[in-house]
Amino acid sequence: MSEIEPNVIFSIENLNRDYICALDKLDMNKWLACFNKQGTYTLISNENESNGFPIAFMLDDKYERLQDRVTQVTVIQEDSTEHYQTRHMTQLTSIVDLGNNQYQANYNFSIFYTQNLIEQSEILCVGRYEDIVLVENGASFIQRKAVIDTNVLPRYIAYPV
Amino acid sequence: MSQTPENGAILEWPAKYNEIPKEVFEREDLWPLELKNIFYGDEWHPIVHQSEIPNIGDYKAAELGEMPIFAVRGQDNKIRIFQNTCTHRGTTLVTESLGNKTEFECPYHRWLFSPEGDLVGCPNSREFTPGFDKKDFSLPTFRTEEFCGLYFITMSDTVAPLKEYLGENFYEPLSRILGGDGRLKFVGYQKVHYDCNWKAYCDNDGYHAPLLHLAFKMLNWQGGKGVQNVSENGHLSFESELKIPDDITALKDASILDFKGTTTSTGSIVQMQFPLTVYSKHMDMLNIRYAFPKGPKGIEVHYAYFTHEDDDDEMIAHRIRQSSNLLGPCGLISMEDASIFSRIDKGNKTPGMAIFQKGVKDEYQLELKVGQNDESGNLPRWEHYRKLMGFERAKS
Repeated sequence: MSEIEPNVIFSIENLNRDYICALDKLDMNKWLACFNKQGTYTLISNENESNGFPIAFMLDDKYERLQDRVTQVTVIQEDSTEHYQTRHMTQLTSIVDLGNNQYQANYNFSIFYTQNLIEQSEILCVGRYEDIVLVENGASFIQRKAVIDTNVLPRYIAYPV
Repeated sequence: MSQTPENGAILEWPAKYNEIPKEVFEREDLWPLELKNIFYGDEWHPIVHQSEIPNIGDYKAAELGEMPIFAVRGQDNKIRIFQNTCTHRGTTLVTESLGNKTEFECPYHRWLFSPEGDLVGCPNSREFTPGFDKKDFSLPTFRTEEFCGLYFITMSDTVAPLKEYLGENFYEPLSRILGGDGRLKFVGYQKVHYDCNWKAYCDNDGYHAPLLHLAFKMLNWQGGKGVQNVSENGHLSFESELKIPDDITALKDASILDFKGTTTSTGSIVQMQFPLTVYSKHMDMLNIRYAFPKGPKGIEVHYAYFTHEDDDDEMIAHRIRQSSNLLGPCGLISMEDASIFSRIDKGNKTPGMAIFQKGVKDEYQLELKVGQNDESGNLPRWEHYRKLMGFERAKS
């Protein structure tokens, strides 16, 4: 990571911070704003990923899908969800320069959740982000892929992680 | 809590067929009897599709009731399902959900089993009991039957053969979910724990779909003509046409809802096999939901997804994309079900009855002929459950 310019690391960390703050505040429009028009988002179990099985929990493979994810969370399923508060804890583990202002960044994460009106906090999932970030006038995701070690989710997941 | 002499739990069942005592979801003392009379009784349970373990030595771990089991493809290309236990002292042989092994060694005393289940090695056997014979220590297996590549087991010697047990109204649509010929390719799982009793998980009905799932309404998704077939032994099978509107304004990318169809397709098939397995084909998604109760509280559901061997690359990509976004514990048309499972479980801690209405013509009669969107289709399975559990129905 020593070859990466400090301002690049700063931009990538800012992007990640915007992302996790958006989700912890359940601000789906700010979540969407973390992606550029090439952006994709995937949530997949490590069991599938490591065995080469492509099925994901969420597979937003184009920008329109990301927009539809916002609609799904905020409009279509808003009233049937048992809402919960998340806290995303992340740790940057590597950055690799891919050229053309693109960087591959990896994070470890653990996410706690507290279901509204039920005051116990539990682990929603732990895993890693495999990101491709465009650093141009700030930073934005070309890809954010969350690979979760938690192969069996403790509950249904209503929002991206 | 009173017990019968056979260690069975007592629960008085109401006289009306459309009333289910809420305590049936909550009483922990029912679980041992459910294990004995249902999971270890006269029922067939699907464990693995051949495409989940396509190579020699591939194995998959699962559970039957509380019993750990595993399925493995042997050197002879045959699939066998074993109890996951060393025949010596009982150590589990398989500890991962999936894998590949040429032999199964117990680490404790190095007893070694072939993928065909034979004991092939056991150190120091000259010092064993005088009559010791390796042939007597093969891995315990089950009565097993295969249908369109899906392997079922039962602990019963007396239950009818699989196709007779399922009935034609069930196995014919099931064959279409399984691609018509079972030549499927497995593409992954979604696994989740739901915080409810197993009977709340599998009590979903034909009434709720257009009402709970707002996506159906928002997408202007019209339910087509259809049928619901139910059987006396508690299996349900829904089949309906699916009319996806040409112009879906609620979504930016409506291609996620494309129904490309194949010769073996109708729009939507959903089947619930007693006691708790769901099979579905919505649009182009082929799905088996293996379910594993975790005692009286909690259930783990493994949504398994498939493509067909004849699919071209475009169809494979479409099925994967659709399956990953529409179904399962995060899906656009199914997440609400998951929400209901835990809410119904919490709500059923209140006294009284859960009451079925839609489609019930006479509360004192069990009706096997039900409409497509009736919830009364669940009542034969409740009656089957009641009889298996030996609960007396009150006099009307």
